[in-house]
Amino acid sequence: MIEFRNVSKVYANGTSALKNINLHIKKGEFVFIVGSSGSGKSTFLKLIMHEELPSRGTIYLDGINISQITKREVPYIRRKMGIVFQDFRLIDKMTVFDNVAFAMRVTGASERDVKKRVPYILNLVDLQNKANRRPAELSGGEQQRVSLARALVNNPSIIIADEPTGNIDPEMSYEIVELLTEINKRGTTVLMVTHEHDLVQRFGKRVIEINCGKIISDSKNPEVRHES
Amino acid sequence: MRASSLKYLLTEGFKNVWKNWMMSVASIGVLVLCLLLTGAAALFSMNISNALRSIESQNSITVYLNDDVETGPALEIGEKIKVLDNIAGCKFYSKEEAVEKFKDELGPIFDGIKDNNPFPHAFHVTLADISKYRETVDVIKQIDGIDSVVNRSELFEKLTKFDRLISISGVFIVIVLGLVSLFILSNTIRLTMYSRRFEISIMKSVGATDWFVRLPFIVEGIIIGIISAIISATILKLLYDVLIGYVNRMIPFSHIPFGSVSLPIFFAFIAAGIAFGLIGGLISISKYLKREGGEILGW
Repeated sequence: MIEFRNVSKVYANGTSALKNINLHIKKGEFVFIVGSSGSGKSTFLKLIMHEELPSRGTIYLDGINISQITKREVPYIRRKMGIVFQDFRLIDKMTVFDNVAFAMRVTGASERDVKKRVPYILNLVDLQNKANRRPAELSGGEQQRVSLARALVNNPSIIIADEPTGNIDPEMSYEIVELLTEINKRGTTVLMVTHEHDLVQRFGKRVIEINCGKIISDSKNPEVRHES
Repeated sequence: MRASSLKYLLTEGFKNVWKNWMMSVASIGVLVLCLLLTGAAALFSMNISNALRSIESQNSITVYLNDDVETGPALEIGEKIKVLDNIAGCKFYSKEEAVEKFKDELGPIFDGIKDNNPFPHAFHVTLADISKYRETVDVIKQIDGIDSVVNRSELFEKLTKFDRLISISGVFIVIVLGLVSLFILSNTIRLTMYSRRFEISIMKSVGATDWFVRLPFIVEGIIIGIISAIISATILKLLYDVLIGYVNRMIPFSHIPFGSVSLPIFFAFIAAGIAFGLIGGLISISKYLKREGGEILGW
């Protein structure tokens, strides 16, 4: 599904964000990425989302070397992913329905498909009764569920959640991760960045820890700790 | 592209124009001015060309006699002109006929001058070959009693020079105004993009193609262009009719009716408006499309 081979990233200002990362995430896995601020987690996600290119090494997504794709191919690679942001990134002036439908409309889906798919996804995240509300009328947890619905609506093969519980209370955080677990059970790969160790321990999934641009532990490959 | 996508993109384009209406009005104002000047220069040039064609087709000169030449000697001069080379026709216009002609065209202002007629006798001379007009005019001028020869070819040259001057200065003004229009239009669209940067960042993150992100802003530019074209074509027609009516009262001449050129002018304006909108849209969006994620939001 996702493979990093000897990937390093050095920004133009000389900051070395990732150093020789080797990693393999299989299809259908649920992986927590943990690490302190400035550890390189964000750069790691940006490389997968093709917002940044590696300075060295190659990244494969579904067997495609995304470090070498053309600019024109990027949107089609991104359609394989559903992205959930810490700050939800919902459009205030749109209803819950339209926020979710937005992701379909801007990728050229027909209105018929939108009307069929969006209610199904809202039902999945238990927001079917709030379709006509605006984001400001919802709680933090509900807003994050809208964000998750938007990430899911185009049926991606991978969900990338960048600290999705960072702005919500612990109980809601648990619910969001539960929801991600349910989605994962249906076959979608989930990659979740977090710094909440309690949450990570509670779900017992694969955990990759990044520090100073290096993977310092991988629960699936205990030998990684020795290498670093 | 699906009909629903097209509808979505067009709706977004219209929304953009409406949301930034103050900048849209500014863009329309400058673009209207630019199109109006272009249209005015084109109409002026068309009318000058029309006048030039009319002068060319007349192939004639007017010979004025000295004030003190009476009718008898005047007719003798006419006989002398008729026998010269390159003369196809020579028609006598008495000073009385001249007063009558001006009275018909300019009204009763000439009523009181019958007793003190300022016009001389004249001949309307048609040349067989216009290319030999200078030689013919030189020979005519040597005849006694002739005051002046109004040489239409000189008028022709003067009009041609004037037309060229107007065309060159018109092109210069239109280029400057065109650049100003593009600058304002692209900034208008850039403002819309800034206000919608959040949506753009989401669009890019969910996999919208660059063209899908770009199109509503191009539609916005084109809408501004089309509105400007319609406004400027309407203003040009009104101004032209008023101006032509005014000029015609002063100097009667055969002008080009606006109706005969209205369609080409309208379509040229629409095409120019669309081109301006398209270029303005493309200029402003390219910068944003190069950015990714948080960069779009300025983080």
